[in-house]
Amino acid sequence: MDAEHIIEMKGICKRFGGVQALRNVDLELRRGEIMGIVGDNGAGKSTLMKILSGAYLADEGEIYIDGQKAHIHNPQDAFNLGISMIYQDLALFDNLDVARNIFIGRELVRGPFKVFMDKKRMYRRAEEVIRDLRVDIKSPKLNVARMSGGQRQMVACARATAFKSKVLIMDEPTAALGVTEASKLLELIRNLKEMELSILLITQRIPDILAIADRVFVLKGGQRQDILDVSQVCLDDVVTMIVKGKGRDENKTPKVEYKSFG
Amino acid sequence: MDSKQYVLAARKNLSKLDLSSLRKYAVMFILAVLMILFSFASPYFLTLRNLTNIIIQNTYFVIVAVGLSFVMMGGGIDLSVGYQMSLVGVVTAMGMMVYHLPVWLAVLIGIILGTILGLINGLIVTSIKIFPLIATLATATVFQGISYIISKANTFRGYPEIFLFLTKAKVLGIPFDVLLALVVVIIVSIIYYETVFGFRLIALGGNEEASRLSGINTRRMKITIYTICGFFTALATMVMISKANTTNSSFGPGTEFIALTAAIVGGVSFMGGEGNIPSLVAGVFLLAVLGNGMQLAGWGTYAQFIVRGIILLGAVAFDEYQRNAKRKVRAKACDEAEVTNLTEA
Repeated sequence: MDAEHIIEMKGICKRFGGVQALRNVDLELRRGEIMGIVGDNGAGKSTLMKILSGAYLADEGEIYIDGQKAHIHNPQDAFNLGISMIYQDLALFDNLDVARNIFIGRELVRGPFKVFMDKKRMYRRAEEVIRDLRVDIKSPKLNVARMSGGQRQMVACARATAFKSKVLIMDEPTAALGVTEASKLLELIRNLKEMELSILLITQRIPDILAIADRVFVLKGGQRQDILDVSQVCLDDVVTMIVKGKGRDENKTPKVEYKSFG
Repeated sequence: MDSKQYVLAARKNLSKLDLSSLRKYAVMFILAVLMILFSFASPYFLTLRNLTNIIIQNTYFVIVAVGLSFVMMGGGIDLSVGYQMSLVGVVTAMGMMVYHLPVWLAVLIGIILGTILGLINGLIVTSIKIFPLIATLATATVFQGISYIISKANTFRGYPEIFLFLTKAKVLGIPFDVLLALVVVIIVSIIYYETVFGFRLIALGGNEEASRLSGINTRRMKITIYTICGFFTALATMVMISKANTTNSSFGPGTEFIALTAAIVGGVSFMGGEGNIPSLVAGVFLLAVLGNGMQLAGWGTYAQFIVRGIILLGAVAFDEYQRNAKRKVRAKACDEAEVTNLTEA
């Protein structure tokens, strides 16, 4: 295995009842890159990423992390291997504050039996993480229920960076955000890349990807179409790939050209 | 620009109106008001003797309510606690009175039995994925049936002196069972506020799917909380039958209603994820003071049931109202961000 790739997924297949969601999909993520994952609704983007994050189990296929074969059976396994996922519905706890949302499931503990929480250290560390991310969350003691969509995304990002994850998967992070909040978030994602994270970004907004991603991975009907280099393509190329696929269905051109997805 | 700032400021003030902190003290406030009210209605109410009585008569309700709060904080419900008490009570009593086991062994068997009943509830709720409300309603009936079959509807009375120690003995002038309830309250408070388990429990009640995605074994958590509830229920049973110095299969049922009402009145959300122990205890005593005061004021025993029912309805309605208010606050926060963006741009 070459160590250029931090993640390699090989021959991933997943079936839900009678539906073949993923068909023999390969994916290679380079170290320190932002890779966009695009495709139409039902193309299998989220399913593929959920397999990597341990939320789903693949029926077939293998995953390599840093060239090592990895066994991911649940979200905890993925986390231990340095993979964090921010879900579309965010998976935040409205009844908890920012610090607790960051540390849930990975609490800092004290005492001989590790049953007591080290709250002081948790709040201090949460404050550091928020500061390092340079996001506008005033205190780790704020309740997330009172936050805007953008701030909630930032809490989710803080959660991923607090534990030195190597790979961060984001599922349509800008989908519910306004223009200003979305651009703030994209800036944050670029900052995360500088913090040596490799990022997989699922999105329907192609312009987001053209703005910050290095490469874009296109799925259609549960099959990999291609990986495009963002610096060498334009919006039309990506959209065409999503709609028509690679070389197939040439004659099934839709009657209306829909280009923006944005 | 000025009007925008005004809107911003107005919205900020609105979102400061947070009912959850209000609610934390509401139950204590209502308790105080009730006590003042009853002290006017009856000269006997505000006597040391009567107040001591209220505390002593309610120690086992406190223990059951605390046990039930584990399940409710985690987003579940256990309607079978009263019937667990019925079964645990007759088994413990028969151990002492019919099989003449040593007291410690009978008590140990009772506690283990109660813990197992809780475990059974937990296993049923997590493996057949049905509403815990229905699941524990079903097990409640099963426990009651077993209780009557085992006791053959007999009453057992006149326990050994050592067993009565539980409620008759005093340590430093404080009745032993009051002390026991106090210790339970303190230990459980520490579990809720200081341990990883308590933290994850509150998270589980807040968002179960998110808990699972955070790597928490939610099934094991749920089984554990029902088991803990069973343990505390069994402990409360010992206090109950020792206090009465008699038991039969009809002892226990009805407790679930008081524990449940006290928990909700005390701010434990019916949907899980919220609550605090001091208010929970205040909730138990609110119901107790109400019963005691109404009786002393000569308003009759049966009217209590009506008032309790209305209190439960009111508390649940308030809980629901607060949830909706929170949702609105959240929507408002989003609006606020938009306005901020507008003013910045």
